[in-house]
Amino acid sequence: MARRVIEIGLLFSQSGVYAPISQAGRAGALRGIDAVNTDPALDITLQPVERDPQGNVDHYGPLCTEILRETGARHVIGTTTSWSRKEVIPALDRAGGALWYPCPYEGYEASDRVVYTHACPNQHLIPLFDWVLPRHGARASLVSSNYIWGWEMSRIAHDLIAEAGGTVLSERYLPLGDTDVDRLVAEIAAARPQFVLNSLVGPSSYAFMAGMAALAARDRAFAPERCPILSCNLTECELQAMGAAAEGVISAGPHFAGYTGPAAWSGQPPGGFASSMEGAAFRAVRALARLLAHRPGAEHLELSALLASDAAAGIDRSTHHMTQPGLVAQLRGGRFQVISATADIAPDPYLARSHLRREGASRLRVVRP
Amino acid sequence: MTRAPQTPRRPLVPDLGGKRAVILHRPNPTLDALARQLAKIGLQVSDCWPDLPAAAATADYVFFDADMGHDEQFPWARGAAPMPLIALIGSEAPGRVAWAMAQGACGQILKPVGDGGVYSALLIARQVFDERAALNGRIAGLEQRLGARQTIVQAVALLGLHEYGEGHAYNRLRQLAMVWRVPIEDAAERIVAHGRDPAEDAAAAARNCRR
Repeated sequence: MARRVIEIGLLFSQSGVYAPISQAGRAGALRGIDAVNTDPALDITLQPVERDPQGNVDHYGPLCTEILRETGARHVIGTTTSWSRKEVIPALDRAGGALWYPCPYEGYEASDRVVYTHACPNQHLIPLFDWVLPRHGARASLVSSNYIWGWEMSRIAHDLIAEAGGTVLSERYLPLGDTDVDRLVAEIAAARPQFVLNSLVGPSSYAFMAGMAALAARDRAFAPERCPILSCNLTECELQAMGAAAEGVISAGPHFAGYTGPAAWSGQPPGGFASSMEGAAFRAVRALARLLAHRPGAEHLELSALLASDAAAGIDRSTHHMTQPGLVAQLRGGRFQVISATADIAPDPYLARSHLRREGASRLRVVRP
Repeated sequence: MTRAPQTPRRPLVPDLGGKRAVILHRPNPTLDALARQLAKIGLQVSDCWPDLPAAAATADYVFFDADMGHDEQFPWARGAAPMPLIALIGSEAPGRVAWAMAQGACGQILKPVGDGGVYSALLIARQVFDERAALNGRIAGLEQRLGARQTIVQAVALLGLHEYGEGHAYNRLRQLAMVWRVPIEDAAERIVAHGRDPAEDAAAAARNCRR
């Protein structure tokens, strides 16, 4: 039986400050395409159409338009930052395309033209806080990059900490790319929080982790077991840039390399994924292929019609977000060890159901172990 | 390095999960898109046309069509909606915008409704509505106090304005209000209703006793 050849767009930057993340996404998407093309149960062959925005936010919209106008691709896998995702949505609207977005983000979006295949805050930040608050307390410092990811993560953290009867001791925002972290670290040293939420991205985060590691070496009150640093955006693909300074960091996400516990993503290829950034892009391609296979003409359907199929299992038809495991892991000896796992967390991108409304959420749960 | 933005944190995000939204709009793609977005955000949605039933008075948000709407559709007086109203505006003609404003719209969404604009309209409308209600409460209180000015003038006259002067008479009114533990406006009202300084009664009673 001849396989239908379907073009799909890839929009990942191969250079720029967040290249380690977008390269992991690209590798996952290409691996997913290979898995589809060698799957004898499917009747389609995916043909990638690639464009490289080079980490420049102004290139995303035009390159996405180019993919949709000049090739047969209707679906694009890619974009890494929320900023670039929002740049691409008008292009999708004009050309009638769809984006599969494979990175963690801050929520408060549910575009008709986007499928979100990584985690939103009820799937990363809330499991992370459910882990940290009972164990370490609710007196915290927040550090973030000065853009939408950092602003929203700190805002939600504020609410969760207030709900637990805790206090935000310090809160700072660093311009994107800024690595001047000395004052920020000094402020945390003086505030003496019970944990630090790090929502910095890229080089700012690397410099901050190095600064905090130096602080912990001087003052054991900042050792990971007493004052852990938490993150919802730190994955294996950035460990090389941080070296030993990241040891002990606690990260939340839907996947960590080597995790095969009961909450793990199903359908992982042999060898698993090196990071959730790779895995979410792989799963985007596989999910798309399930929706296109054995449905001739499905590649021309609008996203809503495409998703109105039993093959859309795992993708919420209302919000286009996926059900995800909520894993919390600690970096030990250079590898993330999962220390808490919640299976199948349904997406709630507007925190309308999970946030501040959890049954039995009690202030009494904030105790030191 | 930037300090935390100085925005009030608590009122910023109202609890929207499970809240009831009613859309007053004829069935068409705008209605569908809006209902879909509201459901994504977690609200319970119903729609009606051409009239808003009385039961809608308990909804948390009402969206209404500014293009084809008219006063009689609403079960409350113009501008007296008990919840935030959000106008769905197609024609930006000044008359239609003015009519939507007169209904007391706390926010608006331009038609055609896509997948953006609904969430921010909910947040803005809730805040505008709450602020407006708080302001109206303050204004009502101030108006009441303003209306009591004439009563205060009358009370001060009864308390010996002409015999002892304005300062003395006004101090006497303040003392009585303190003794009775009521606002000065209420004390003035009592004195005016009574027709004279209550101290005169005591003095008269004492004179009667001596006789």
